[in-house]
Amino acid sequence: MKHDRKEKNRRKSTILFLAAAVLILAAVTAAGIILEGTATETDFSRTNLAPGTGGLFGTDWMGRDMFARTLAGLSLSIRIGILTAAVSAVIALLAGTAAATLGRRADAVISWCIDLVMGIPHILLVMLISIACGRGFAGVVAGVALSHWPSLARVIRGEVIQLRQAPYILVAEKLGVSKFQNVRRHMIPHLLPQFLTGLILLFPHAILHEASVTFLGFGLSSEQPAIGVILSESMQYLTTGRWWLALFPGLALVLAVILFAVLGERLRQLMDPSSVHE
Amino acid sequence: MRADRIEKSQWKRAVSVLLSAALSLGVLAGCQSGNASAGQSENITGASADSVVIAMDPNSEPEAGFDPAYGWGAGEHVHEPLIQSTLTVTNTDLTIGYDLATDYSVSEDGLTWTVTIRDDVSFTDGEPLTAEDVAFTYNTVKEASSVNDFTMLDSAEAADDTTVVFHMTRPFSIWPYTMAIVGIVPEHAYDSASYGSNPIGSGRYILKQWDRGQQVILEANPDYYGEAPEMQQVTILFMEEDAAFLAAQAGQVDVAYTSATYSDQTVEGYSLASYASVDNRGFNLPAVSYGADSEGRTVGNDFTSDVLVRRAINIGIDRQEMIDNVLNGYGSPAYSVCDGLPWYNEASRAEYDPEGAADLLDEAGWVMGEDGIREKDGVKAELNLLYSTGDSVRQALTADFASQMEELGISCSIEGVGWDTAYDRALSEPLLWGWGAHTPMELYNIYHTIQGTDSAEYSPYSNPTVDDYMDQALASSDLEDSYELWKLAQWDGTTGVTQDGDIPWVWLVNIDHLYWVRDGLQIAEQKIHPHGHGWSLVNNVDQWNWTERNDDH
Repeated sequence: MKHDRKEKNRRKSTILFLAAAVLILAAVTAAGIILEGTATETDFSRTNLAPGTGGLFGTDWMGRDMFARTLAGLSLSIRIGILTAAVSAVIALLAGTAAATLGRRADAVISWCIDLVMGIPHILLVMLISIACGRGFAGVVAGVALSHWPSLARVIRGEVIQLRQAPYILVAEKLGVSKFQNVRRHMIPHLLPQFLTGLILLFPHAILHEASVTFLGFGLSSEQPAIGVILSESMQYLTTGRWWLALFPGLALVLAVILFAVLGERLRQLMDPSSVHE
Repeated sequence: MRADRIEKSQWKRAVSVLLSAALSLGVLAGCQSGNASAGQSENITGASADSVVIAMDPNSEPEAGFDPAYGWGAGEHVHEPLIQSTLTVTNTDLTIGYDLATDYSVSEDGLTWTVTIRDDVSFTDGEPLTAEDVAFTYNTVKEASSVNDFTMLDSAEAADDTTVVFHMTRPFSIWPYTMAIVGIVPEHAYDSASYGSNPIGSGRYILKQWDRGQQVILEANPDYYGEAPEMQQVTILFMEEDAAFLAAQAGQVDVAYTSATYSDQTVEGYSLASYASVDNRGFNLPAVSYGADSEGRTVGNDFTSDVLVRRAINIGIDRQEMIDNVLNGYGSPAYSVCDGLPWYNEASRAEYDPEGAADLLDEAGWVMGEDGIREKDGVKAELNLLYSTGDSVRQALTADFASQMEELGISCSIEGVGWDTAYDRALSEPLLWGWGAHTPMELYNIYHTIQGTDSAEYSPYSNPTVDDYMDQALASSDLEDSYELWKLAQWDGTTGVTQDGDIPWVWLVNIDHLYWVRDGLQIAEQKIHPHGHGWSLVNNVDQWNWTERNDDH
């Protein structure tokens, strides 16, 4: 009773926010999977209806429900995002650690690869890899996964190099702790926050690039309900005033991306030792 | 302090993500409209009573320029070359008329064509056009053309100044249709590297200016040997469909191509003109069972290899519903690749009959299952329908076809494919094609067995009787007689490619070609348009005129 103006604990509110965000994204993903059938169903008696008469988000030129399409598209994007971000992060972890531990030559080779991939504009690289892998789902996943690892790899490489010289690691080595034990007990706990944050911050990029490359026609095939497909289809209807075709899916994409970005940032605060107790 | 910093960086992060999202959308949008804005401004060069500005699809711009050897007029989309003269022309009823030619004849064996030409024609550089130029043109085109088939021509030679003799490798009765699309180039001024961008011809128009990716300006040829063109200047702008629509709305063009997507709109000062076409859309139905060919490609389809299934599909399509739904009413039902042309066989017509279709499927052993999908020996009736990705009309037609097939108990999935893989995939799965040309050769290309193989080119199918009629038609010494043989190839009373025959392709609709036309502009009577929503419209631009000009320029 005395503490009715309970001061909000930052940590608690962050955890709450995290849970809410994860829940929303999970719900969207699940809803999208369930609605995938509805999203591709055509009904030519209900074409080009504005939001209201034509359902929550209206219908398109083949009478497909835009609400179902938006959710299905977002869901597809999120799944591709998770898959590609995970693959990218694993590549980054392996490349980063290898560069830092396997000697100078390995470091030179990997650093060169990092520079190479970073030197080519992302969207171009994604397009090239996607086309080379035959477009479609496989092409997009390969394209995004193989182009997003360098920045995280660079961070991890820097961390590991720094760690190897850290006094407590050196002490542990002198005390006879095996190399494997050293990595497991001392290095990984230190790297984990950076790695997880990096992983989650890869999502927004992955999702945006998936949508862009699909929009440009080098990604997912046009019969799939993907945000990029929806946006590119809507282009030819904007001049005739069918704003709902682009507005809602576009907004949904931006919101999902922001949610992921904030999620990563909050997670970093939670796990970063320098801010964990705020 | 620290909290402050975090707060800031958090904001920065959020803002940067937002900005990059906005940026990438902006960049993407830029890609689409780049073409449009390039063409729109500055082109309104003193509109007068004898000039016209036309917006065309960017794909209509001839990539290799205005050189007949590289597809100008005689390419994938055939049309009159305007800048050059042709030997013959196709009349509005698609019979053959004369341009340069005054007469032609063919030998009994069909292997020698003799054409006499006018003697009063000059190129725009003043040099006279002789039979030498004609022979040179055909030999060059045969040598160079990668887009059109000239293997039936052996060589061309000039017998004298006004007589050309074509030596053929095989009888080819429809040679006059080929002569109607090959523009004659001057032997003395032809250089394959530069002719395309700097063409000299003897046609109704002269190429005045060509800004690649933007516009082409044609000016009337003052020395034209025929009737002087009424339109002195023709400007063609290349722009995307949405940009063409906006240009019409802004009053910047006199004619703008458009499609059913925009047909429910109105543009003040313009009316929507609709021209009938043989620009058809249809699915190939592989007529052999699943297997592999000598090159290792997958060929054939176990479901569509049954002729009863193919017949059921053909009468199970409600074509009018497709036209109303997908084309907003701007189309006509298609029953063959050549509806309405002189060589079209009326027997191709098939009435919509869903009960009949269901009976045929039952007869073929495909029985309705509990889930609404037919089955035979435990196999589900399934089709994966392909369409060329990025074409919204084809996608909608495919989706509509799929939902109509579902009603028959055939489960369909649809898939967008690029042309890089579409040809191979169509050997085993139905693909939505677009055809329609001013020559019966199209029947041959689609249905005739390729020599040395057991299948036609685009979809596995072969019928010796059909082949035979078409061979006879090509060997015929009289063009009019050959029409009858082309008709027999489609249906001769016992076999053919129609509903009662093998029906290896089903045809859905002919798509009307739509244009916004400024009030007061009289567009001359159009021939039935072939496939390709481009230059066909301006085949007779020289005969267009203004009854009044009501734009304020």
